[in-house]
Amino acid sequence: MNNSSTIQQFNNLTSNDVAIKVENVSKKYCKSLKRSMIYGVRDITKNVFGMSSNSYLLRKEEFWAVDDVSFEVKKGETLGIIGPNGAGKTTILKMLNGIFWPDKGKITIKGKVGALIAVGAGFHPMLSGRENIYLNAAILGMSREEVDEKFDSIVEFADIGDFLDTPVKFYSSGMFVRLGFSVAIHCEPDVLLVDEVLSVGDSVFRNKCYRKMDEIKRKKDVAIVFVSHNLLTVDKFCDKGIFLNKGKIKSYGGIHKVIHDYQSIINQLLDKQKSMRGVIPGIPYCTKEVKITNVKYLGRDNKEQKNFSSGDKLGIKIEYKANHTIINPIFQLSLFNKENVHISVFATHIDNIKIKSIQGKGAIECWINNLPLLLNKYYVTVAVYDNTHNLTFDYWSGAIYSQYFQVLPNRISRKMAEYTPVCKFDNKWIF
Amino acid sequence: MNKTITYEPDNSIKKGYISLFKEIFRELKYNKWLTLQLFKRDFFAIYKQSLVGVFWAFIVPIISVGTFIILNRSGIFNFGEIEVPYPIFAILGMAFWQLFSTGLITTSNSLVKAGSMLVKINFSKKSLVIASSAQSLVPFIVQLVLVGVLFVVYSVNPSVKILLFPLFMIPIILFTLGLGFIFSLFNSVVRDIGNALSVFMTFLMFLTPVLYAKPKIGILIPITKFNPLYYLISIPREIILKGSTLEWKGYLLSVGAAFFVFIVGLVVFHLTETRVTERI
Repeated sequence: MNNSSTIQQFNNLTSNDVAIKVENVSKKYCKSLKRSMIYGVRDITKNVFGMSSNSYLLRKEEFWAVDDVSFEVKKGETLGIIGPNGAGKTTILKMLNGIFWPDKGKITIKGKVGALIAVGAGFHPMLSGRENIYLNAAILGMSREEVDEKFDSIVEFADIGDFLDTPVKFYSSGMFVRLGFSVAIHCEPDVLLVDEVLSVGDSVFRNKCYRKMDEIKRKKDVAIVFVSHNLLTVDKFCDKGIFLNKGKIKSYGGIHKVIHDYQSIINQLLDKQKSMRGVIPGIPYCTKEVKITNVKYLGRDNKEQKNFSSGDKLGIKIEYKANHTIINPIFQLSLFNKENVHISVFATHIDNIKIKSIQGKGAIECWINNLPLLLNKYYVTVAVYDNTHNLTFDYWSGAIYSQYFQVLPNRISRKMAEYTPVCKFDNKWIF
Repeated sequence: MNKTITYEPDNSIKKGYISLFKEIFRELKYNKWLTLQLFKRDFFAIYKQSLVGVFWAFIVPIISVGTFIILNRSGIFNFGEIEVPYPIFAILGMAFWQLFSTGLITTSNSLVKAGSMLVKINFSKKSLVIASSAQSLVPFIVQLVLVGVLFVVYSVNPSVKILLFPLFMIPIILFTLGLGFIFSLFNSVVRDIGNALSVFMTFLMFLTPVLYAKPKIGILIPITKFNPLYYLISIPREIILKGSTLEWKGYLLSVGAAFFVFIVGLVVFHLTETRVTERI
């Protein structure tokens, strides 16, 4: 469900499957606090007397924070919203949640909306975890019976142990977020809004959250809108995306295309201001001391190749350019299929290969014999690190640059296909 | 549950006033449990990290009534003609008064106080206002207990109509809520409302015959005559202490006004609550 062609198919389905429909929505903000107060009082007074506040007009010191945005999200689909700070991502999320109302256009949402925006926001520090579960659940729209029923599951997922009856002000920030997330995820929404919440909490919990979101997405046909600066996560988690800049949609479609558009604009920006170091949100900070100039998929004959068969030999050639002498760099490769399942990882430090040093232009190849992959599209991500593995020199993703290779079906894999496995091992039967 | 929600500018206005009441009623009913939870939260938040807790509600009226007794004994302040012991008269009056004053101040600040939460979670703002108005119920009950103790101490017999006190509370609460709905809205946009209110409240208490009998001379006569708070507070007190009142007409009119204020406040709130979060 990850490329644009599937989205085309989606659009042909009946509109019954549409969970979120946003039509030409705009939202304005006021730059000045005093004026905002005056406008506020004026609008409220007008509404009281049944007059329209003519919100489609801009007044002095107002600007469109979100400008003429339209999109749709269907059941079971995940939409990622990316863009630089101030692009209007959070505003859109807040409008979908009904916290802010659009000034122009129309938003239609089918079903119950749940939000993972600033989890734990409804917690009262003085109340215990137990009391806060009930309070927060009520605020998020659950009924008492629902909470009673799910209480154990909420506690278990939050993993707060003996602290259930302790005031939450004594919780660690991790526990606080875990409890907040756990309550929010248990309200079983039809539409789930997620904003950056998962940037807190340790990686174990983060993974647990993603698994849980993935689970509800698949099982319950939930439509998810996902806002993040982490392009890797967006890439992995979303089917389609929106790239927003200054309130306007710059790109809308399959997630890879959108990320690609976003990066190309970011790169243009960076080229303009050379002095700025290239921090692209979501991509680890890259020093660019070593640049990955190209990555090629090689066949048996050392030539670039896009189509392979199970059992073939596959080489991945990483071409790089090092600005100065780098001692003991680490090269790391990850192999994904087009559904973004992480199939395997290859790294020089894992395989105990020590590269003494690199300098200038060069290339390194990683060869896989007896390719165990089955019919699908695949891509790799490549990263170069320093000898401590802490500093990233450069990062490259085949998904972002649309560099895929394909494994074509053969006699055996065709037979295996009906069971939808991801790989084929080199096995033997003995009897 | 597969309901469809639509967000559009001026949504409520387009729907018309009839469906408005249905909508409001449905929302209030659906959020009963939420309102209770919010009330509990506010209640525990005040009294949990406090040693004497609810007993603060005893201390406040005792001190203020004590002050007035001292002022009276020193010849500075004249209560007027009161047939029952002054502490009973004053504390009973204070109980009803603070139902209004505490209620109005907490409701007016409710949206502002919850501002950081309102911009993050979408939940019923009406529940928030209603739950915060209920904050005045706890001190009311406590003060009523205090009045009961005083009845015993002074061996005064109240009228059996004291059992009607829940009924007497209703118009005061509705009046408070109606004003609270409107003030909370404007307070969240312009903070002056909340500040002005707390200053004005003390002033209003001295203007209303709460701690003294209905005045017989001076400028307070016309003011009292048209002050709905006087009727809403003093008439129930008179009925509880004496069993009857001569000012039924004024009382019923004030009750009518209270209901009217409540309905208007609720409708205004419903029509405009969607505009508030972005200005908070």
